[in-house]
Amino acid sequence: MIDISGLHYRYPGARADALADLDLQIGEGEFVAVVGANGSGKSTLARLAGGLDKPAAARRALACGHDLLTEAGRLAARRDVGVLFQNPENQLVAQCVEDDVAFGLENLGWAAPQIRRRVDEMLSRFRLEDLRLREPHLLSGGQKQRTALAGVLAVPRRALVLDEPTAMLDPAGRREVLAAVAGLHAEGLAIVYVTQEMDEVVTADRVIALERGTEVYSGSPSGLFADTGLVRRLRLGLPAAGELALALAERGRGPVRLPLTMDELLAGFAGSA
Amino acid sequence: MSLSCRGMSFSYEVGGTQLPALRGVSFELPAGGSLALLGASGAGKTTLLQVLRGLDRADSGAVLLDGVEPDAAAYADLQREVGLVFQAAELQLFAATAREDVAFGPRRLGWPEADVTTAVEAALDLAGLPAGDFGERHPYSLSGGEQRRLALAGVLAMRPRLLLLDEPFVNLDPGTRRDLVAVLERLKAAGVTLLLATHDVDLAWSLCDQRLLLADGRVEAVGDWDFAGAGGSLLAANRLREPFLVELWRRLGRAPESAPRTAAEAAEALA
Amino acid sequence: MKAAIAQYYPGSSPLHRLDPRAKFVAVTALAVALFVRDSFFGLGVFAVAGALAYGLSRVPVRWFWRAFKPLLWLVGLTFLAQLIFAPGEPFFSFGFFHVSWRGLELAAFLSLRLVVLVLMGSVLTLTTPPIALTDGLVWLGRPLRRLRVPTDELALMVTIALRFIPTLLVELDTIMRAQRARGADFRSGGPGARVRALVPVLVPLFVLSFRRADDLALAMEARCYRPGVVRTRLHPLCAGWGDAVLLGATAAVIALALLV
Repeated sequence: MIDISGLHYRYPGARADALADLDLQIGEGEFVAVVGANGSGKSTLARLAGGLDKPAAARRALACGHDLLTEAGRLAARRDVGVLFQNPENQLVAQCVEDDVAFGLENLGWAAPQIRRRVDEMLSRFRLEDLRLREPHLLSGGQKQRTALAGVLAVPRRALVLDEPTAMLDPAGRREVLAAVAGLHAEGLAIVYVTQEMDEVVTADRVIALERGTEVYSGSPSGLFADTGLVRRLRLGLPAAGELALALAERGRGPVRLPLTMDELLAGFAGSA
Repeated sequence: MSLSCRGMSFSYEVGGTQLPALRGVSFELPAGGSLALLGASGAGKTTLLQVLRGLDRADSGAVLLDGVEPDAAAYADLQREVGLVFQAAELQLFAATAREDVAFGPRRLGWPEADVTTAVEAALDLAGLPAGDFGERHPYSLSGGEQRRLALAGVLAMRPRLLLLDEPFVNLDPGTRRDLVAVLERLKAAGVTLLLATHDVDLAWSLCDQRLLLADGRVEAVGDWDFAGAGGSLLAANRLREPFLVELWRRLGRAPESAPRTAAEAAEALA
Repeated sequence: MKAAIAQYYPGSSPLHRLDPRAKFVAVTALAVALFVRDSFFGLGVFAVAGALAYGLSRVPVRWFWRAFKPLLWLVGLTFLAQLIFAPGEPFFSFGFFHVSWRGLELAAFLSLRLVVLVLMGSVLTLTTPPIALTDGLVWLGRPLRRLRVPTDELALMVTIALRFIPTLLVELDTIMRAQRARGADFRSGGPGARVRALVPVLVPLFVLSFRRADDLALAMEARCYRPGVVRTRLHPLCAGWGDAVLLGATAAVIALALLV
């Protein structure tokens, strides 16, 4: 789905590359989490993968087979790769929910009956039917983000990039969005999930950690958290279970494998008992 | 500064009708104590904080600061010692340099310039933005986490004895979150009374002596209450989960109300 | 919090269901015709037509009053000005002021004409959602595209601006409260002080808006928006027999008012 090698990107007037010699491969149906400190290039990567920005240079930069180095390729990538951003408020364009969900399809020139059908499908899928005529400023954070997601996915996609989609939401809103994303993953959509919430990383197939624009880790979530030096250097947190296990390890009662969930932690206790 | 809320009620007027936002809210927060305000979105947490700060006047009931009633002469002065940090507080940054922005509050209080400078330097240091490095920086050149801390410094410069914070941890990376917790711990140690509205149940458990659950404008539970039992189902009803350590203690068969507050304490207890 | 301008009253009356283009053309034609001839008969015809249209829209009368109230001063001023300064034999004098029959007649005519104008405009805005009106205007303005006027993009700009007005008002209030919590005072002081007091509010609001513009542009591009490319609509404009009837009726009213 995403095949990038040797990618460089620098913001105009910046002193250093935001992305430097980055390699990234994401296969069909994979759920990959991307973590890193602020300024590590996560958001830049999300935008480039969606064809929304022009790479400075790359050996290879393909998103769903489209060449991100060409204008035509980027425009095509915007069709196949959906991008959901952090701030729900700043993604909603229209004056009511159903009009906003229709926005992408209107841009693509779909005929009205087809738009209607697809919009109804999306409203139903994301449980927004009762809100179809609601104005955006009357929606909760979670509802806004679900609307934005419905709008992004109204255009049939082959991959979805989410840039810290739950950062500005309360726990209820976060659960709504995570459930929606889990459902999409179950349906086989390739997902790139940029996040600072370590609990959200645990369910990914693979985690990529960025530091100053380069990939410094690519592997399983448990592998990443087991590397405490790296976790500290990148100013990442640990899931609560991992933190406790670490504190125990410091007191000599360490488990062999770092647990990431409470269940794993309890299993570890039972095992060592 | 101690805070005493007695049967406080407040309604909004929207298009001719009254919408109750707070109903008979009562609780006590001793000087130097800390209280976490929990509740689902729309429960009234922000409204409560703004009434406590005096931005809105309660319809009925009273808010006593240091035991002083609202109609007393000294009340206005005491209210100036209550600081409120808004959610996404970086929205309020407007000046050309960090120092100028932080100086806004003290200057509005009418302090002499020398006192303003001292307060600004102290506040910047306390918030983790050393005045030497950050003082002359333009607020918009700072990172998100730094802006959040700058906004906090702006309130700290006014030397509040009671500090109210509305969702201070939202949208912060783990590192900045830890830094902010450290700042609040420092303030607690210095005797500042803290009241913070938060969704982060674990931080509410580790950072504060008391927790207050607000639902639909009413106080559902308050005090150093246990999260299991009545607390557990209350939390679920309000779409909040139990703190990690409390749930862990319960699943280990230990008394949930005696659960430790931090991972370090838990490790000590288990090792 | 709704802005009083372009206030829309949701409904399903015959007028609500008409095409915005037809409604706009009808109202514009009527408004122009209103000023062509100075006759009470003509004015009466337009007034009756306007009142009938309003009744047909099934919008409560108090909504017209709400739209009209801000202009009451203008109507009052017009009335008084004509009353006092119009030439003619005075039948009543009070010091400087001479009131003549002619003046009274003129005053009544001009004020009533204003009222009828507002009535017609209200029927349009009360029965047409802003987005439909903008779509209609875009279609009517199609010829301007040949002159390189970006009508579609302008329409989208209007829609987005309207969408964000409530949000901006809330944000403005929040920023003001945050600064009040730091001791800002927006109420006291002379005009100079009050303007200066707005700086801590307007600067963050502008910064917020610029950031929003960036984010929104990116989100729109992510949903395949391209300026200049023709967009379809979920609710396409569809003229029907009702619109033909409206236009016919409008022509008849104008003919009656001007030619009789």
